[in-house]
Amino acid sequence: MNVAGADRNRRLITAGAGTALALVMGLALLAGFRLATQIRSSITALQTASELQTYPGVLTQQLTALRQRLETREYTGQAHAELAGTVGRFNGDIRQLATRGKLQSAQLQEAVQMWQAYRPVLAPILAFSGEPYVDTDAGSSLSESGKLYYGNVRQAQLLAKQNVGRLHRLLSAVTRSLEAQTSGAAARLRALLSGGVLAAFVLAAAAAYLQLTRIRHERAAREAQEQTRDILKTVREGFFLLDADYKIGSVWSEALTHIFDRSDFAGLSFEKLLENRVPPNTLATAMKYIKLLWGDRAHENLMKSINPLGQLEISMDNGRGGKETRYLQFDFHRVLGPKGVKHVLCSVSDITSNVLLAKELQEAQENANAQVDMMVGMMHVDPLQLGSFLDTTQTGLQLINAILKEPARTDAEFRKKLGGLFRELHSIKGEASALNLMSIAQRVHRLEDMVSELKKKAELSGNDFLPMVLKLDELLAHLRGVREMATRLTALKDSATSGADAPRSSAAERPGGRSGEDLTPTMQALAEKLGRDHRKAFRLTLSGLANVPAPYVATVKDCLIQMLRNSAVHGIEPCEARRALAKSDVGAVRVDFRRSGDGYELVFEDDGAGISPQALKDAAVRKSIITAEEAASMDTRSAMALIFRPGFSTQEEVTMDAGRGVGMDVVARTVYGLGGKIGVSTNPGRFTRFKIVLPAAEAASSAVA
Amino acid sequence: MSVGQVNGAGGRRSLKLLIVDDSNIMRRRIERSQQFEELEVVGTAGNGIEALEMFHKTDPDMVTMDLTMPQMDGIECISKLVQLKPAVRILVISALADKATAVEAMERGANGFLNKPFTDRQLNEAIAELMS
Amino acid sequence: MLREEELKTFVEGTTNYFEVAAQQPATIGSPYLMEGAPQVHDYTGIISISGKREGVVYFTAPRAMLTVLLMKMQENDFSHETMRDLVGEVANTISGNARRDFGRDFVISVPSVLAGEKPEVPQKPGQRSFIIPINWRSHSAKLVVSLT
Repeated sequence: MNVAGADRNRRLITAGAGTALALVMGLALLAGFRLATQIRSSITALQTASELQTYPGVLTQQLTALRQRLETREYTGQAHAELAGTVGRFNGDIRQLATRGKLQSAQLQEAVQMWQAYRPVLAPILAFSGEPYVDTDAGSSLSESGKLYYGNVRQAQLLAKQNVGRLHRLLSAVTRSLEAQTSGAAARLRALLSGGVLAAFVLAAAAAYLQLTRIRHERAAREAQEQTRDILKTVREGFFLLDADYKIGSVWSEALTHIFDRSDFAGLSFEKLLENRVPPNTLATAMKYIKLLWGDRAHENLMKSINPLGQLEISMDNGRGGKETRYLQFDFHRVLGPKGVKHVLCSVSDITSNVLLAKELQEAQENANAQVDMMVGMMHVDPLQLGSFLDTTQTGLQLINAILKEPARTDAEFRKKLGGLFRELHSIKGEASALNLMSIAQRVHRLEDMVSELKKKAELSGNDFLPMVLKLDELLAHLRGVREMATRLTALKDSATSGADAPRSSAAERPGGRSGEDLTPTMQALAEKLGRDHRKAFRLTLSGLANVPAPYVATVKDCLIQMLRNSAVHGIEPCEARRALAKSDVGAVRVDFRRSGDGYELVFEDDGAGISPQALKDAAVRKSIITAEEAASMDTRSAMALIFRPGFSTQEEVTMDAGRGVGMDVVARTVYGLGGKIGVSTNPGRFTRFKIVLPAAEAASSAVA
Repeated sequence: MSVGQVNGAGGRRSLKLLIVDDSNIMRRRIERSQQFEELEVVGTAGNGIEALEMFHKTDPDMVTMDLTMPQMDGIECISKLVQLKPAVRILVISALADKATAVEAMERGANGFLNKPFTDRQLNEAIAELMS
Repeated sequence: MLREEELKTFVEGTTNYFEVAAQQPATIGSPYLMEGAPQVHDYTGIISISGKREGVVYFTAPRAMLTVLLMKMQENDFSHETMRDLVGEVANTISGNARRDFGRDFVISVPSVLAGEKPEVPQKPGQRSFIIPINWRSHSAKLVVSLT
C-alpha cells in the first residue's frame, strides 16, 4: 500500500514537471515574440531616422543648388522637383518617427519643432509654379514671381544653412538612441532565449530524473510483489484478507488450498468457506464475530480474547466419499485505514495433528483405565480367597482414604501421609500378586509409583494428591467390577458342580471355629508364580497354616507373602549357582506355624544364599539409612536388624515383587503392632530363617480393637 | 488516556452508571471498586426486568451487566437496552467464560467483556476501555 | 472416569476465586473419596452438570470462613442473604471455568444455593464423590465433585 502511494506521488510530480516545462516555454516564446516585434519596429524607426539625418544636408544642398540656378538663370524645374520630394519625405518620415516610432526623446521633439520652423519658409517655395524667368534681349531675367521665388529660396537656404548642423546633430542623436534601444531589446531577447533554453533543460532533466526513479520504484514494487507472491506460495499458514462484505480478497496464500481442498478463494465469502463444514450454530457465532471485527465497539485485545475460532472443528470430504475431521486455528487482525477497519487479515493453520495427539493420549489413558484384563486370572482364584482378598483390600483402601482425609496444610503434614500410604498400598499389592490378580497389582503398583515420586518432590501440596485420589477411585471401581465378576463366576461354578462335591470347608465351618481361612493354597499359588517369574526352582513345604487363628490370618498372610518374595528374589539361587555350591537344584522353603506356650510361633526358612551383614551395611550406607561411620561400628546383630528398617532394600531394580524396600518393614511393624517379636538368623551360603512370635489370639484381638 | 479525555473534554461531567447483577455482593463490589470520579452510580438491578425499570428511571450512560440472572437474562437485556439507547455502553461482567457467549453478548451490543472473578485493577481497566 | 484435567478445572475455579476476590490464595488439602452421606457446611453453592458427565459439583463452606472472606472483600453486610450470595458466586465461577474448558461437552446449570441445618444434597446412589478440602487462612471449606 505504501509502495502504491509513493508511486502515485511520483507520477504526479512527473506530470507537474511536464506541465511546468510547457508553461515556461510558452511564456518564453510569448515574451520573445513581443520583443521581436518591438525590435522590428525599432529597426524600421532606425532606418527612417538614419535616412532622416541626411535630409537637413540634402535639403541645404538642394536649396543652395536652386538658388545658384536661379542666379545663373538655369533651368530650375528639376531642382524644384527634387526639393519638393525631399521636403515631402522629410515631412512624412519625421512625422512617422514622432508618432509611430513610439520614441519619446527631447532631441526628436526639438527636431520636430525646428522642422516646423522650416515649413512656413518652404511652403511658398513649394507652392511656386510657373516660369521664374522672362526672356529679354539682354538675356533672361527674373520675372516678378521669379524674384519673389528667389527671395524665398534665399531665405530658406539661409535658414537651412544656419540650422543644418543643429538639425543634423539632433537627428543623429535620435538615431543613436534608437540604435541603443534596438540593441538593448536584442540583448533582452537573447537573454530571454538563453533563460528559456536553460529552464527547458532543467525541467527536462528533472522530468528525466523523475521518470528514472519511477522506473526504479516500479521495479522495486514489482520485486516486492514477487516476494509477496513467493511468501504466499511457501508459507505454511493460510493467509487471506476479508473485505467489508466478508469476502476473501484476491491475495491469499497457497496453504489455503491444502487446508480447504479448493482454490476458488478470491471473492468467496467467509460464510461459504465454512458452510456445511461446521455446525450451524458455530457458523452463526463465527459470522457474528467476524461482523464485530468491523465495528469499533471492541478493542483488539478483547476481540482476540473472545475469538471463537481458536480451535475450530471442521468436517471435510476425505476424497473417498467419506468425511474427515480437521481442526483449524483462525486468527484475525484488523487492518486499519484512514476510515476505520479496511480489511481483516486472517491466518489459518491446521492444528489437527496437535489436537488428535492430545485426544489420542487421553483416549489411550482412558482405555488403559477401562481395561478389565483379569478374567483369566480370576478363573483360577478360589472364590473364598478372592472374597477375603476383596474384603481386606476394601479395608486397606478405606485406611488409605482415611490417611488422605487427615487434614493437611504444610509440606510436613502432606509428607507424613506418604509413609502410611506406601505401606498400605504395598501390602495390598503383595496380596494381589499372591493371588495372581495382576490387573489389581498393576494398578496398586502405579499408585505406589506416585507415592514414590511424591517422596522425591521438594514441596508437597494438595494438588500433588489429585492424580492419586483419581487413581484410588479408579482402583475402587475396578474392585467393584472384580467383585461383581466374582459373584457371577461363583454362581456359574455352583451351578456347574450342582452340589455333587461336598462344599469346600470354609473358615466358618471348620471345626473349632477359631481358625481362619487356610492360607496353604494362596501360598502355593504365590510360590508357583514367583518361581516362574524369577526362574527359580524351589519347593514350598507348609505346615500348620490351616490352624492360624482368624485374627492372625491377615498378618500371617502379609508376613508370608513378603518373606516368600524375599526368598524368591534374594534368597534362592539360580540352579547353576546351587549346583556349583553342591546344593540340590531345587531350593527348599519351609513354613511352620504352631502353638508355642500361650501364643504362636511362625518359622520361615529357606536354604538359599543367606544374608551377608556386610552387604546389608553397604546397602544401608548407599541408601543413606545409616552413615559409613555407623556401619563400621555396627555389630552383626545390629546389621541384621537393618533389614527391618524402613526404606531398606538390597535389590536395586524395582519390580512388582521385591525391592520396594518396605516389605520387611511392613512385616516387622505388623508383628510389633500385635505385641509380637520378629528375629532373623542366617548363615551366608546356607540358609535364612525368620522367626515370628505372636501372643495369644485373644490378646491380639483386644490389641487390634 | 481515556479517562483524561473524558475529564479534559467535559470538565467534571458526570457519567451515569447502572450496575446489573443478581448478586448483592457483586453489585456492591463493583460500586466500591470502580475508581472513576466522573462515574456516578445511579442505580443497581438484580435482574433484567429491574434493569429495564432502572434504565427508564435513570437514563444511564454506562451499564455493567451480569449474564446469568433470574427473570430475563443479561443477553436479552442487552438487546433491549441498546434498542432504547444505542449510545449506551455496556460492560458484561460474567462468570460465563466461553467464547460463544462473549461473541453473542458483543453482537447484541455489549462493548466489553470481563470475566468473574476479577481484580479491582481488571475492573477499572475494563471500565476505562469502555469509556475510551 | 473423571479425568485429572476436569478435576483440576473445578479446583482452580474455586481457588482462583479466593485469590482474585480476596487477594489471598486458597490452597487445597489432600483430596479424598466421600464415604457415606454427603456432609455439608453452613452454606453450599451447587451446580449440576449433564452431557458427557452427569452429576453435581458443589462448594460448601462454614459461616466463619465466609464471614472472613466477606471482610477481606470489604463487605460489611454479613446477613444470611449475603452468605448465600457469596457461595452462589463461587459456584458461578466454578461453572464459568468449566464452561470455558469443557463447554462443548458439558451442560451446566445455573448455580443454586443450599443453606440450613440438613440440606438435601442430591447424590446418586453408588456415585463416587471426590472431596477436595479448600484451605484458606485458618478455615477450611470443601469442594465436592460428584460426577460420572
